Amino acid sequence: MAAIDAPAAARAPREVNRQARTAWGLTAPALALMFLILLVPVVVAGILSFTNYSLGNTGFDWVGFKNYDRLFSRSTYEKMFIATFTYVAVVVPVSVALGLGAALLVNSLGRIGDIYKTIFFLPVMATLLAMAIVWEFMLHPTIGVINQTLELSCGTFLEVVPFLANGCADGFPLWLGDRDYAIWVLCFIGIWQGFGFNMVLYLAGLTAVHRELYHAAEMDGAKSAWERFRLVTWPALGPTTVFVVTISCIRAFQVFDTVEAFWPQGGGPNKSTYVMMFAIFEKGVQQNLIGIGSAITMLFLVFVMFLTLIQRWLVERKVHY
Amino acid sequence: MTRDVWKHLILVIGAIIVLAPFYMMLSYSFKSPGEIDRGVGGFFGAQEMMVDPRCVKLRDPNRDEIAAVAPQYPGKTDSEIRAAIMAQAEIDCSMRPVVFNYSKAFIEAPLLRYLLNGVIVTASIFIVQVLVALPAAYALAKLKFWGREAVFGLVLFCLLIPVHAIALPLYIMLAKVGLTNTYAALVVPWTISVFGIFLMRQFFMTVPDDLIDAARMDGMTEFAIVWRVMLPTAIPALLAFAIFSIVAHWNDYFWPRIVVTGSRDLFTPPLGLREFKGDADGSFFGPMMATATIIVTPLIVAFLVAQRRFIEGITLSGMK
Repeated sequence: MAAIDAPAAARAPREVNRQARTAWGLTAPALALMFLILLVPVVVAGILSFTNYSLGNTGFDWVGFKNYDRLFSRSTYEKMFIATFTYVAVVVPVSVALGLGAALLVNSLGRIGDIYKTIFFLPVMATLLAMAIVWEFMLHPTIGVINQTLELSCGTFLEVVPFLANGCADGFPLWLGDRDYAIWVLCFIGIWQGFGFNMVLYLAGLTAVHRELYHAAEMDGAKSAWERFRLVTWPALGPTTVFVVTISCIRAFQVFDTVEAFWPQGGGPNKSTYVMMFAIFEKGVQQNLIGIGSAITMLFLVFVMFLTLIQRWLVERKVHY
Repeated sequence: MTRDVWKHLILVIGAIIVLAPFYMMLSYSFKSPGEIDRGVGGFFGAQEMMVDPRCVKLRDPNRDEIAAVAPQYPGKTDSEIRAAIMAQAEIDCSMRPVVFNYSKAFIEAPLLRYLLNGVIVTASIFIVQVLVALPAAYALAKLKFWGREAVFGLVLFCLLIPVHAIALPLYIMLAKVGLTNTYAALVVPWTISVFGIFLMRQFFMTVPDDLIDAARMDGMTEFAIVWRVMLPTAIPALLAFAIFSIVAHWNDYFWPRIVVTGSRDLFTPPLGLREFKGDADGSFFGPMMATATIIVTPLIVAFLVAQRRFIEGITLSGMK
């Protein structure tokens, strides 16, 4: 027995060693790229955010917290934070609620519901930049189809609506050119594009809700549809909701295509749509103010990481609220 | 039953709003400039013959050209010859609006080149992502080695970093090594997909060890196991990941906008459309919408054909 075991035991450490070497060999490219493409840039942005570096200059000066100081004192950046957080605060709840609503309706209709699922998912697939340009045409103040349609209501009973009455009297809004409307139009397009994605995630979540739970709830006296939703569906969808909210937040924070398409210069009327990604692009890339661009990058990373960490923490607690 | 009617009513209103821009995009791409301006013509437009003014202007002959063709018009003055040539040009340059829009989309800008660039970039990104992620995922799932937990921890940490967010330092690094305005710049930042590693690792965890042991008995190296045993088992997961990756990068505008400046030769489809918009005057709404339609169509058609797979792929990040 010992004679058979001995070589096997001797082989084991060598085998382990060999496997370890292969394993490192297999992960090496991924590890190298992870460092080079994901970790080094974060460090680089962190360092540059304390400098006044510009591409093309040979050297740079350390400026301490001056860049961050500027972010929290200049009115331009105040507008940036307001635009970004308004966008996130509107798009996330509305697109999550619409996604959930659409999922519940589609789910209750059975096979016929699938056609709506397909339609609502189309904007997720379409190139956002192309669709933004189409929206811009539709929102054109004079030849756009939206204002042309609104004008049809002039002279009819619909004029009792104050918005339409004002429009017929003084002209309909300029939409993208109007500082009171620009950010809301931007939010609307964000919701239009994103809610189908949330709907699909909720539909996947709904298939996991057990039928027996509804029967049990009915036994316990939950007669109305609302009661069943409140007692069974909503708690069962807890993990899905956590995920949907996080991913919607991260996507909303990253809004850029529509802003750049509508207002290539300066972030909208009165900077009302000057979102963070656009600020990074404008300051860092176009104006070569790398220090300030890096400072915005760092803040952006903090927001996104914070959100994801909250999500992971909630998932680990296996939320059912 | 009446409840269902209400549900349909709500969903149909939603569907109309969702489909409106797609409808308008297609409709504009069919119509003549006049119809677009006046907002008439229904969905297809009247499709009356129209004259392309730029085409006619190009054919306007100068003095030398008139002199060259003068023998063909005996006994005519120069202005009569010019009028005759222009009349012919108007006939040659008239076409249906739909033909005008779609031919302009390809002639005014090198749209085919843009589409080809889009294919090259998305395909390269996906291939490199798989080449890098698959071996790493296999090692993390099936090999025991010191430091495995640390590597996996690093993967989980990197999942927190969206590549778009670190675009500025990446751009600086690429500029420093002189790689901006190259295909490499468009591809490099996306070569590492930590999400892909994570996803494939979760998938490989479900592959039975016996399969790998059997391959080792046959004398296969670990490297051969990755490509000849694990890759074939992973096809369904890879297909979903492919859709996820291709949709994201075909539609991406932010990153190409940063690293490609100037040279049209490197433009991806969204960049090409953006440039088209930049120098478009009113009469070019139609061709621009035709370009938009051409760019959006491939993914939409693929989605309609293989819906279930697409939804699976796009929502991958939700399946944990």
